Amino acid sequence: MVASLRRMAFGMVAGLLAAPSLAAQLASPRSIPATYAITNARLVPVSSPVIEKGTIVVRDGLIAAIGANVAVPGDARVIDGTGLTVYPGLIDAYGSIGVPNAPAPSAGGGGRGGGGAPGGPAATPARAAANSNYPVGLQPEVSVVDLLKADNDAFSGPTSAGITTALTSSGSGIFQGQSAVINLAGADANAMVVKAPVAQHIGFSPLRGGSFPNSLMGVFAALRQQLLDAQHYRDVKAAYDKNPRGMSRPEYDPSLEALLPVLARTQPVVMYATTEREIERALNLAKEFGLRPIIAGGNEAHLVAARLKAENVPVLLTLNFPHRTAAPSADADPEPLRVLRERADAPKVAGRLAQAGVKFAFQSGGLTTWSDFAGNAQKAVENGLSGDAALKALTLTSAEILGVSDRLGSLEIGKIANLAITRGDLLAHGRVTQLFIDGRPVAVRAPATTGNAGAAGITGTWTVTVSLDGSDYPTTWSLRQDGTRLLGSIQGTLGTMEIQNGTMGTDNELRFTASITLKEGTEEATFIGTLDGNAVRGRMAIVGHTPGTFAGTRPQRAGGPPAGAPPAAPRTPNGAR
Amino acid sequence: MTRTLLFAASLTLAAGSLGAQANPAAAGAGATLIKNATVLTVTKGTLKNTDVLIQNGKIAQVGSNIAAPAGATVIDATGKYLMPGIIDPHTHTMSDAINEGSLSVTSMVRIQDVLNPTAINIYRALAGGVTSINILHGSANTIGGQNATVKLKWGEDVDQMMFPGAPPGIKFALGENVTRKNQSQIIIPGQPTTRRYPVSRMGQEEVVRDAFVRARDYKATLDDYKARVAKGEKNLVAPRRNLELEPLVEVLEGKRLVHAHSYRSDEMLMLLGLADEFGFKIQTLQHGLEGYKIASEIAKHGAGLSSFADSWSYKIEAYDAIPYNVAILLRHGVNATINSDSDERMRRLNIDAAKLVRYGGLTEDEALATITINGAKQLGVADKVGSIEVGKDADLGLWNNHPLSVFAAVDKTFVDGKVYFDRQQDLAMRDQKAKERADLEKAGANQAPATRRGVQPVLPQEER
Repeated sequence: MVASLRRMAFGMVAGLLAAPSLAAQLASPRSIPATYAITNARLVPVSSPVIEKGTIVVRDGLIAAIGANVAVPGDARVIDGTGLTVYPGLIDAYGSIGVPNAPAPSAGGGGRGGGGAPGGPAATPARAAANSNYPVGLQPEVSVVDLLKADNDAFSGPTSAGITTALTSSGSGIFQGQSAVINLAGADANAMVVKAPVAQHIGFSPLRGGSFPNSLMGVFAALRQQLLDAQHYRDVKAAYDKNPRGMSRPEYDPSLEALLPVLARTQPVVMYATTEREIERALNLAKEFGLRPIIAGGNEAHLVAARLKAENVPVLLTLNFPHRTAAPSADADPEPLRVLRERADAPKVAGRLAQAGVKFAFQSGGLTTWSDFAGNAQKAVENGLSGDAALKALTLTSAEILGVSDRLGSLEIGKIANLAITRGDLLAHGRVTQLFIDGRPVAVRAPATTGNAGAAGITGTWTVTVSLDGSDYPTTWSLRQDGTRLLGSIQGTLGTMEIQNGTMGTDNELRFTASITLKEGTEEATFIGTLDGNAVRGRMAIVGHTPGTFAGTRPQRAGGPPAGAPPAAPRTPNGAR
Repeated sequence: MTRTLLFAASLTLAAGSLGAQANPAAAGAGATLIKNATVLTVTKGTLKNTDVLIQNGKIAQVGSNIAAPAGATVIDATGKYLMPGIIDPHTHTMSDAINEGSLSVTSMVRIQDVLNPTAINIYRALAGGVTSINILHGSANTIGGQNATVKLKWGEDVDQMMFPGAPPGIKFALGENVTRKNQSQIIIPGQPTTRRYPVSRMGQEEVVRDAFVRARDYKATLDDYKARVAKGEKNLVAPRRNLELEPLVEVLEGKRLVHAHSYRSDEMLMLLGLADEFGFKIQTLQHGLEGYKIASEIAKHGAGLSSFADSWSYKIEAYDAIPYNVAILLRHGVNATINSDSDERMRRLNIDAAKLVRYGGLTEDEALATITINGAKQLGVADKVGSIEVGKDADLGLWNNHPLSVFAAVDKTFVDGKVYFDRQQDLAMRDQKAKERADLEKAGANQAPATRRGVQPVLPQEER
């Protein structure tokens, strides 16, 4: 009954979009109807009070009118919004959405010392910038715009959570390059860009492969030296520009050139820091060079709240709340109190920041269950954050921190028509039913992780035999593919574990690591294999062991989503089918 | 013996149950009067039935029948021993990174950047009477990073823990650790397997020489610039700052102390000679297990030496070590100390000092000096800590027995006059922590998913 009602209601939106002719038109952006009016809807402008029943008009990609008594223009497609709520499109304020093969930020969980040795949480080497004088990972001139790919499959997860807009960066290296604010729809990568560059991004993970810097100490030394070099470059250039005669021309350096707006404070620096001391260290570095910092991650930001407030530093706060992933073994040492505290405190951080007057926006923090995006914001509300503040942290405050509040973040006339339309309150288990991005309807699909055919080749439950050192180990793999990311878990005779660092290549190559349990103890194994229809096979490497192999099949390839997956949204023309 | 074991067990429990958290027992900034203790001043002998008054973080008075100022905390120390806080000249504790082993010269990296003030070993060291430590870069490369001298103010921020006025330093390393690093190359598929220069002691000498030649040139550039500025030249652009060479220039100028990891007498002689050639001093030879062979030469250079009490033969270059090393060095006028180089041994340095009485024939004061005033001299802070003297920082350990006894345990540890470890408070806190843990375990985020039973969680690394 509920399901059929939902379908009926949605039909009002989806029905008009489902016409085959429109499907054809959507392939050509110019011919999309330019004007829409959503009537009888609850409107949440964020920047002004809620309109319980009103109309919002979208024209040529912008919000043309909003109010309780707005006339519907004659040329508008009318959508009856009865029972629906319209929010500004949500903003995911930090991540690497749209960047193929970007590393996921760590979920936190407390306790990592913060690197120190090769083999720590090193960042994946970034794309190399051409003609750089600096090694990969220390190239601030890298622009995420050059790495973007318009990929509707990759966007299906975030858009299902109501996210229309994201801050995105390369996500790898120490100087990670310049980020952009993008809309999660567009004919091509450039059409997605709302603003670029937005900020320089810095991560504190040592470089891989043993070259300098391969420790956390080295990371700080490398950052400091390069910022000093940029200051020197600035001064030499200024002297030369003032009077070039008789002075050797300073060599052009694209890396240092990219740091000049950072030193001039015209470009902020987004620094990924989760623990109290990581945040302190990031702030110290920013202070030393007079940078304009923004903290991303912020799991323990509440412990630094006074300083963040005093130094006017905003936080892009993760919604990827840490939680215990496995039952403790009786043989293991008890987990440190600090770790238990961090998990229990995660939903309280936002409320504490708000109380302390620290400006913050929410970001997905690499979470893979996209319904947790609004779901965990709701948990923050249940743990002391006001509903208004939570909503702002998903929309307008994010836009303010990212410097795009003049065009995004609220329902106001003249702003970009990015809308998230829900059935029910977003922060009370409401369901996102439809988006508008740049004034165009974007259907909400179940994320590619739910195993719909075509969207995710390897998603499903697999029966796999692992052969190692002359023994066979029967296992069950539950895999989910999210774009190029591979997630899931392994159960069976090798123990139960989450897979890590999973990727799925376009050539059907899968790669991941997992901590498997053998007689001798827990070992880190690297799995590399190929997917061929309903079969996987490949090899497995463990340091100190003869390489093993694995082979398996997917017995019950789901025709529909597996049990427990969210229901698939009704199909609309730009859906997968 | 039984008592010692029991005590050791209870200490481990205490620290484990505390977790990283705010300092448990910081008394107010007010005065403290310790009454009727046996005071081991180290520099001025042992004073029986003596009072010590702490005011404003300093030792204000040492004497008999001192009247307690109004509001002062009075501690009856009858039957107890008060000694200076122990100083450990060589540790790697509370650092989130130890080695930047990528290059042979990494003088640009700083331990201070990566200190973790919540490391539980700080608290454990306090429970062993330690109040100041020198945190060194590792020994992976010939010229390592800049060390940090720290007061163990458990619960405070890093900034407040940095030892005020302690001169900066840097780690050098010679011998097997530097060369071995290259031989046990971990093969990473897809990564080049180049060996890092140098792979011999000859190469290590060359690395140091080359670095200081470059530092001398850099210093000349800086001096030239300063001279031209002084002459009033205009439109000058300051030279590029070089974070690798700046600390080495400071070494040349005598502003930065060199702590050189070294084992064999030949490599120590090499380094002392090289330092003489460039006109700088080696502040300490670290480990220096063969120091006794060249005690006079070390004394002539003016270097100190920081060694182990009785560790040897754990690698080839440690075969010639003897337990009399520190005693022989002291008899030849070398300022010698005992260090831990270990989170575990750091909290039992009093026992290591006691070994020198047994094997080296040192007096009790001489033995205590190897873990107090001598270390203070090596770190350049002897005017502030290392002995119980009026005017010095009130960094003190109150022991229930003579600290050179295996039955000794710390009751209270003071840093700058504040109590940072208190045995009674520790005992009281255990129930409180157990309750907090039980409450936290009930939180949803700390519940394991029902389907994943019996799997050992990946525990976060506590230290490095």
